[in-house]
Amino acid sequence: MQDSFIESLESRGLTRRAFLGFCGTIAAAIGIEGVTAADVAEAIESNSLIGTNGGLGEGALAPVIWMELGSCTGCTESFAQADNPDPATLILEYLALNYAETLSAAAGYSLEEAREETIEAAKGKYVVVIEGAVMTRYDGEILRIAGAPTCAPHESHLLHTCKDAAVVIAAGSCAVDGGFCAAYPNPGDAEGIQKYLKDNGVSTPVVNLPSCPVNPANLVAVIVQYLLLGPESVVAGLNEFNMPAAMYGETIHDNCERRGHFENGEFVYEFGSEEEAKGYCLYALGCKGPQTKANCPQVRWNRRVSWCVASGAPCIGCCNGDPRTTVRNWIDVDSPFLGRLKTLRLGDIAFQPTPVALGVTGLLTAALVVHGIGMKATGRTKGGAPFEKEREWDVKHGKKEPSTVPVVEEQVVVDFEEGK
Amino acid sequence: MAHLVHYPEAHPFVFRFTHWVNLICMLLLILSGIEIHYPVVPYLMGVARGVHMFCAFVILINLIFRIVAAGFIKSAPAYGTRETKLDMYTFFPQKDNRHQLWPWIKYYLFFKKEHPLGGKYGVPQKLSYLLIAVAILFMGYTGFCLWAPTMNIPFFAGFTTLVGGLMKVRVIHYFMMFFFICFTLIHIYLANIEGIDPTKVMLLGTKPHGGLTYSLETRNISGYDPMDEEIIVMEDKVVLEKD
Ligand code: HEM
Ligand code: HEM
Ligand code: SF4
Ligand code: SF4
Repeated sequence: MQDSFIESLESRGLTRRAFLGFCGTIAAAIGIEGVTAADVAEAIESNSLIGTNGGLGEGALAPVIWMELGSCTGCTESFAQADNPDPATLILEYLALNYAETLSAAAGYSLEEAREETIEAAKGKYVVVIEGAVMTRYDGEILRIAGAPTCAPHESHLLHTCKDAAVVIAAGSCAVDGGFCAAYPNPGDAEGIQKYLKDNGVSTPVVNLPSCPVNPANLVAVIVQYLLLGPESVVAGLNEFNMPAAMYGETIHDNCERRGHFENGEFVYEFGSEEEAKGYCLYALGCKGPQTKANCPQVRWNRRVSWCVASGAPCIGCCNGDPRTTVRNWIDVDSPFLGRLKTLRLGDIAFQPTPVALGVTGLLTAALVVHGIGMKATGRTKGGAPFEKEREWDVKHGKKEPSTVPVVEEQVVVDFEEGK
Repeated sequence: MAHLVHYPEAHPFVFRFTHWVNLICMLLLILSGIEIHYPVVPYLMGVARGVHMFCAFVILINLIFRIVAAGFIKSAPAYGTRETKLDMYTFFPQKDNRHQLWPWIKYYLFFKKEHPLGGKYGVPQKLSYLLIAVAILFMGYTGFCLWAPTMNIPFFAGFTTLVGGLMKVRVIHYFMMFFFICFTLIHIYLANIEGIDPTKVMLLGTKPHGGLTYSLETRNISGYDPMDEEIIVMEDKVVLEKD
């Protein structure tokens, strides 16, 4: 690393050591053998505005446009921690974050100009980060940005911006599957960016990085992988949900630090209990770790300080949305957050699986009891009713006479009388 | 005295054995499944999961064995006869059961007074046994979708995606448990409501009481076999019947 780069880092409150440590996390998140922390550091430095490639503009091989749609700004928030800079934030700035409604110093026309310039100057090379859901209700009028609806069909600056990007990164679950905006009953017809682009004929590859908010380390990892190995490498590593398989391939549960307690059957049944103080497993509180695939336990959050389960909160499965549709929204899939199974819906009727299953079983038991009383009353409990003489159908269709065979009771009597 | 004799030929040892395996595994799977669903008893999760997976493999192997054995082992295709055929014929459509679905339903709903004639398993009964085989396979399939070592194999992951994620698979697996519970309730009820003989034969292989015999040729009642019942008992019953 060049001195000027290190100096710049230090002037922003980040030591060389901390920076390299972060690069190690990034390398791990990329999850490709042979990609080391040093490679990551090199990629960031050589593509940064103040790195080896020199001054502003030139070095920015991959400018980033960050667009905020229907969101709570939590994803931006998880990056930008003003009084204690996060390496991820800094790195994103170094990589030329040319447009970000919340983070950019500029605003209004000049910022919109910057976006246009970036698109023109770096056609096919820039990266778009989407935060928040595409709000499609009322032809997109439900959310206007820069004087126009965000997502009018076929014509919107969202489509315009994404069309010529090298890659679109859906940062956080709202951008992936609509997130909280798209939760039942989804009043704003929110959807993920992948679906919106596909429905409107834009074929730029989308990389989905769910979680609520996005994990900054994963976001930077994708950008760095793009810089290091190109868009093909990023796309090749995606699973069927367009999520990097290396990051969303294993369940939280399989890498959870409380897993030992799970196996031992040591559970927290109630918040504020003794078990909670002992750090037991949160399964009984509805932890969705067993059915959620993400690298939270390995990459952790907030500079590896902690993550949900470590901090005592059951995983709520915030990575579980399906970006290809609006009907498998992660909140719908995982709520109630503190329940073991999801709430099911038939139209507008919501119900929990357990009461329904128990109800059906109870009704059945009652029906069997009633039936049993009927069987008893009709005298069928001691060997059943007497057999029919012939099958009904055969008799009705003239195949057989009802009494071709000796009548059963009589035969018994006959046998008996013959002294058998 | 309308019962057919429950000759043990109806349930040869091998199938009594597979039934026992079914019964025990199903019981353990349900108990461990409930514990996995919500740890009602603390400190048992590891055991429950171990038992659950062990029984899962056993019940699946048992099922496959049961199906294969049906092609090799003979059993009586009807009660009231000692004649045997390959067991699979019990599960294929039988002439003895033709057109009998509706009469069976009517009988169970008290719209028909007389007991329908039929093969070893009446129509609804046979359908339910075939369904239970499919259900066990399906249960295994959804189980492997949830099991970490197999969940990422495309054969299983494909289903997980199809239904909308692991949570949905879990809900299906959970609902299916109640399907088995309901099946077992109905099954135990129907197996015993007309007398305990079938259960004794199925579970213990004990010698049955005397009863009617059935001819595979005429497909109808053919006589009475008192087994070695004391005549006095018979006399009693005959008198009772005649009343
Ligand atoms: C036949 C093969 C089966 C396999 C391979 C299988 C496998 C599994 C697996 C892997 C789990 C999740 C365990 C975990 O998270 O550690 C599970 C859960 C469960 N199983 Fe099975 N299982 C099978 C059959 C059954 C049967 C027959 C029943 C009941 C009749 C049953 C009832 C349950 C229940 C209630 C759960 C808890 C679901 C939840 O709420 O999370 N399973 N099973
Ligand atoms: C206490 C519990 C049970 C009792 C008393 C019982 C009794 C019986 C009886 C009497 C039969 C023979 C029916 C007949 O010949 O008409 C039978 C067959 C059968 N039962 Fe059960 N059963 C029990 C539990 C179960 C369970 C838990 C399962 C599986 C879910 C099961 C599955 C079957 C199957 C598949 C058959 C057909 C047998 C074959 O031909 O292999 N049973 N049972
Ligand atoms: S806390 Fe959640 S993820 Fe961790 S072991 Fe328990 S159930 Fe699994
Ligand atoms: S641990 Fe669970 S709830 Fe927390 S961020 Fe990861 S996936 Fe989301």
